[in-house]
Amino acid sequence: MALNGDEEDFEWEPPTEAEMKVIQARRERQDKISKLMGDYLLKGYKMLGECCEVCGTILLQDRQQKNYCVSCQELDSDIDKDNPALNPQAALSQVRERQLASQSPAPSHTPELNESPSSSQGNMSVPQPRPEHCEGAAAGGRTPLPPPAVPSPSRLVLQEAEEAVLTKLRWATNQLQSSASLEASIQLCSLITSCANSLRSLKEVSQ
Amino acid sequence: MPPLEHLHMKNVLQTVGVLEAVILRSFGPEGGQVLFTRDTGQAMLSRSGTRILTALQLEHPLARLCVWKHSTATGDGSKTFILLLASLLRLIHAAASKEPNVSHSYNSTKAAEAATARHLADKLLAFALKELDELIATGVVPYGGRISWEDFTATAQSPSLANNLCVQKLLRSFFHTRFGYTHCDFISHLACELLSYWKFKNELPSFSLQFVSDNFPALHTPVSGFPVCASRLIDGQVIHRDFATPPLKTDHQPVKAVVLTRSLQPTLLNTGDVLEVGCGGRMMEERSIVHFSAWMERSLQGIIANLQTLGVCVLLSAVKQSAAVLALATQAEMCVVECVSEDELSLFVRLSGTIPIWDCSMIEPEHVVTLTFCRPIQLGGHRYVHVAFQDSEERITVKPCSLVICAPGEGQTEQYACALQDAVRMLLRTWEPMHAAVTTTSKRTLQSHKSSSLHTDNLTDRTTYRSSAIQPIHKCVLEPGCVISAGGSFELLLHYALLQHGHSCSVSHDLNIDTSVSQLLANALLSVPQKIYAHSPRHFLETQSKVINSELDLGLESVSCKYQLLLAVLQCVRSLLKVDTVLPTHIALHTQSSRPASTSWEDTEDELLSGYIHLHTHTHTHIVYHAIYKEE
Repeated sequence: MALNGDEEDFEWEPPTEAEMKVIQARRERQDKISKLMGDYLLKGYKMLGECCEVCGTILLQDRQQKNYCVSCQELDSDIDKDNPALNPQAALSQVRERQLASQSPAPSHTPELNESPSSSQGNMSVPQPRPEHCEGAAAGGRTPLPPPAVPSPSRLVLQEAEEAVLTKLRWATNQLQSSASLEASIQLCSLITSCANSLRSLKEVSQ
Repeated sequence: MPPLEHLHMKNVLQTVGVLEAVILRSFGPEGGQVLFTRDTGQAMLSRSGTRILTALQLEHPLARLCVWKHSTATGDGSKTFILLLASLLRLIHAAASKEPNVSHSYNSTKAAEAATARHLADKLLAFALKELDELIATGVVPYGGRISWEDFTATAQSPSLANNLCVQKLLRSFFHTRFGYTHCDFISHLACELLSYWKFKNELPSFSLQFVSDNFPALHTPVSGFPVCASRLIDGQVIHRDFATPPLKTDHQPVKAVVLTRSLQPTLLNTGDVLEVGCGGRMMEERSIVHFSAWMERSLQGIIANLQTLGVCVLLSAVKQSAAVLALATQAEMCVVECVSEDELSLFVRLSGTIPIWDCSMIEPEHVVTLTFCRPIQLGGHRYVHVAFQDSEERITVKPCSLVICAPGEGQTEQYACALQDAVRMLLRTWEPMHAAVTTTSKRTLQSHKSSSLHTDNLTDRTTYRSSAIQPIHKCVLEPGCVISAGGSFELLLHYALLQHGHSCSVSHDLNIDTSVSQLLANALLSVPQKIYAHSPRHFLETQSKVINSELDLGLESVSCKYQLLLAVLQCVRSLLKVDTVLPTHIALHTQSSRPASTSWEDTEDELLSGYIHLHTHTHTHIVYHAIYKEE
């Protein structure tokens, strides 16, 4: 949606799938906020006429005259999720993006990966059942970490390890998008998790 | 002082979303109850949407606006009101963000969205005022039925009627939503009895219903500490005061009574007056205040003697009488009832056909009313005065009776009384002729609610819509007494009717406006049955097919009440979207005077906050928010 805020006619285009996911996530968050606020109102909190400066949610006040913002203090923040400084997952996805961008022409699914860094955790599409591949891949994903005390040759090893893990991650994502069975998709997701964990450990080791 | 806050649609949506989340769990036949507790330890269970919403502590002006609007709209359906409001706002928001209004130039997309939303709300209201009643008459009413005012109970019906439509069934479904199935049969039977007694012959049903609704506080007595099944009807009128002097010893009938509006002993002296005691220049000794009061007593004795010659034994007084009057009355074997409330006295005057005494020196026979009896009655822990009227031709041809409402606790008696009053209001709406209802609703709300802020709210609302509506007079009238089966059928049928209307509009001519508006309304309406059957989607589908075949038998609902509710929702949407800025001001509040008009039980608790949810008392400075409306 081109929202520039000038006087030109703006063309409305239907939101892409990724944007739809963001909208959906936002709507769910709003629903959660409303439900929590409703519960607090029933407990005797007062709904004020002011909004929180940080997130714009309506403030509540408890009986001790203390102001309370439901979204800031209870729910995980919407935008902190994407901040690499605060969230390791976001950091990992940033690393991944850079890796993929630096490689040769990537397969068709990478643009989507790049566009939706924040919704990478929830891709529940239908995968195909390939259990033996999953196991092998899982075993491959859990590549043994290089020992921490090894000097410079380890840097090459680490890089290779990272590449291998990233390849497996990419493959797993591909499989996840096309798989049709619940079991397989669960296993693929756990594979992705373990790949991400491995990447994190590799990162820690390289630092 | 906090700065001005410009409101965005997001805030409106959030506010209404929160209210929706509050009432959602109590909605529908499987809805739960809210337990209210107070600092004093009293507890009360309620499912009534009005009670829940008015008990919340809301300082946000939009939230208060929603709660006020709903509490003046109908006697029932407050939860449905909030649900429809929320779904409509969400759909309008979605539609507004899709097509920004490109004909104007705005500073930001938010302003453009807000303008589009406002425009949509106006179009919705105009559409509803113009075409909705026709749609209802053609699309919804054929699937329901008509109740005649004469048939109160099922037994009076001819056995050939399969649907068994009667007033009691309608009341039963109403009370079922308030109390559950334990007492709804009993209470609906009692209410039917009350209404059949108060049926004025040769008058429209709306007349009797209006009478009962207006005089309801004087027509019922709450008694706590008894089971609900002990509620009953009593002949005559119960005056909620005890005798100030010993009641009549000999039960000689008939009893003659007079109504006094002022004290029998005139107050010749006020504070600050100086009384010069003398005797016209002639200096006599021993002229003192004693002689003056003796003279006053002699004149009082004269009045009492006058009353005695007329045969009066009961004095009903609107004010407190002095001790001298009471003593003299006791001596003369008259009983006095003091401080009778104004509405009870006016009801008495109306039923007896007498004239209250204004000037005590001129008491004529037409001031005297003959009663069958006037004796004390013990109801619960209080003793009241029970009077019965003699049948006379001049009086209104109705058999007066009073309702005694029993419940285990004080809060519950109040709940039952409120529910009965709301039931009468609902019946009144059902039997009001439709075209008159829309324009005279403002008058009725003026009568039934005392808060002046609500007056101006309603009046300005009505005048603004009247000026903006293209055709103010409806040619199609919904017949009085239309009912439809409960459980979301009205919304489902109207949903389909609107969709069909939208299709036919788009086919016949390209009025895109009408199509999208009717589509929006149709989608919003669907949210109500969806929420009712949220527990079981299968039932939802089954219900849909049953409704079309008119097989649903979950109780009855009034069509005109639903229509009024829908109109009220659309007007509230328009008001909400018109709000532009929130302006905080500081005012000192002694009581929560900004709360909407509440029932008597809440009025008596001035210092404590009304509502049971654990609350503190606040009597210091508050920040009150006022909403500024954008003029367009």
